[in-house]
Amino acid sequence: MSVPKFLRGTVTIAEMEARKLRHASSELWIRAVQPALWLLVFGEALSKVRGIAPSKFTYLQFITPGVLSQSVLFIAIFYGITLVWERDLGLLSKLLATPVPQSSIVAGKALSAAIRGLFQAIVVFALALIIHVNLNLQVLDVLGVFVVITLLAMCFSSLSMFIASMIKTRERMMGIGQLITMPLFFASNAIYPLSLMPKWLQYVAIANPLSYAVNALRSLLLTGDYSSLPQDILVLLVYTLVLLFATSLTIRRIIQ
Amino acid sequence: MHAIEAKGLTKIYEGSIRAVDGVDLCVEEGEVFGLLGPNGAGKSTTIKMLLTLLKPTSGSIEILGVDALSSPSRVRELVGYVPQEVSVDGDLTGYENLLIFSKFYSSNVKKEKIRGILEYIGLQEKADDLVKNYSGGMMRRLEIAQALVNEPKILFLDEPSIGLDPYVKREVWMLVKTLKEERGMTIFMTTHDMMEAEYFCDRVAIMNAGKIVVLGRPSDLKESVGADVVSLKVSNHVAGLRVPGEVGKLISTNNEELSIVPNGRAEEALPRLILELEKQGVVIHSISISRPTLDDVFLKYTKMRIQEAESLRQARLARRSFRRHAK
Repeated sequence: MSVPKFLRGTVTIAEMEARKLRHASSELWIRAVQPALWLLVFGEALSKVRGIAPSKFTYLQFITPGVLSQSVLFIAIFYGITLVWERDLGLLSKLLATPVPQSSIVAGKALSAAIRGLFQAIVVFALALIIHVNLNLQVLDVLGVFVVITLLAMCFSSLSMFIASMIKTRERMMGIGQLITMPLFFASNAIYPLSLMPKWLQYVAIANPLSYAVNALRSLLLTGDYSSLPQDILVLLVYTLVLLFATSLTIRRIIQ
Repeated sequence: MHAIEAKGLTKIYEGSIRAVDGVDLCVEEGEVFGLLGPNGAGKSTTIKMLLTLLKPTSGSIEILGVDALSSPSRVRELVGYVPQEVSVDGDLTGYENLLIFSKFYSSNVKKEKIRGILEYIGLQEKADDLVKNYSGGMMRRLEIAQALVNEPKILFLDEPSIGLDPYVKREVWMLVKTLKEERGMTIFMTTHDMMEAEYFCDRVAIMNAGKIVVLGRPSDLKESVGADVVSLKVSNHVAGLRVPGEVGKLISTNNEELSIVPNGRAEEALPRLILELEKQGVVIHSISISRPTLDDVFLKYTKMRIQEAESLRQARLARRSFRRHAK
């Protein structure tokens, strides 16, 4: 398989998904409700409790990157259901009978999860501005956030598609999605810092790619301390590439 | 070189179920070939293996001389595929469905060409509507158009008229017939509809329980089952009635009904037969011709009617997939 063919296929699949999203843009707005609730209800309430966030920041500041990454995680982790749905409809067998490389199908669909994720980022930024959460929103920081969100969405949507290619039914996908999102979310630094966790959970959090995304988002949006940023992005990138590769190998199983 | 050549094709699921069991097939270029059998006979599994969607457990496949097992992506360039289920994307417009699909095959897609295809299948007015608002027949036409964007050498149709109402079915048949006649395209289709197979196919293979039970031209297969029979209702029974050997053979006189096996085709023997009977003073009230169908062929070779061979589970699955179309 050649690189131009892979890229062309990926862009075409992403274009297809983007066109679908354009025809059904209400989906984007409905998805924006969840991060709004986390910020406006959960965040506001917990901000009365002292000592969770590092002293320099308010709890709302601390939790905003966490909420953003969580909302992207939720979108991505159920992405495999779409794949099962398309298999049931017969769309996927037709797609797999074309010369488009299967790696392009996975990467293109992962990119479309990233498009949804980027929209969430914009919504969260807008909310933060409205409720006066102080964030660094310089051009480079925002671009950096977009890179991290793209990787995060691609990473977990690939994981979801990988699981879908193994378990193949929508009902079980829903169950597994529910089963893994909460542990992924809680065993990360999204809503409380690692230092508050018991030791064993800290190890889980260190293996959790979500922690690296949250960490990167915090450096960009809050602390301005970029020293761990290359490492965070590298870890996310490695996870994403491994999952994309693995899913490219297994995706054909879903139609068998 | 053959369009399709499969040898010893076998697919075993989960270690035990032999969905396809040692199938040998050879399809010539320009031929319309039908794989006929009840739901669950292994037709869809066979077509999926030919399309590189499933890996056979054993056996070999060559599509236009290309080994489908070692170079699947080259085979995918050569074929077009219309699956059994509705496979156009309801969340895109008709135009977008064709546009995206064209881009899968070529980096240089011309808008005019896509508009041209939409016109050819009579969907230019609906081009920018979302496909989920199309009728079943429009979706089917769009699907066939989608399978043609890469100008395939071989078109694979999996149950092309399943779940369609009679009017739409005719529409689809006309379109496929045009493709056969105007473009001389090689078409490989599966069907459980005997009429459909007789209408299109140059040759059919009848499949049951994973095996091909008989293969040949529909007319030859039907002849192997038996000849045409002409039945005549007459008002007066004439004793000593004689049918000349060059016209046909009287096989029974039952009350006021005569059954005659004509010599050659019934339509051609009929005028002489009528003349002959009237000369002998027989008053004819009605004439009917019954000829064997592929259903009779299926019965002969499998000792079952085609519906009997379908299990409840398979019938249910097939109907469920119709219902999905309707949504």
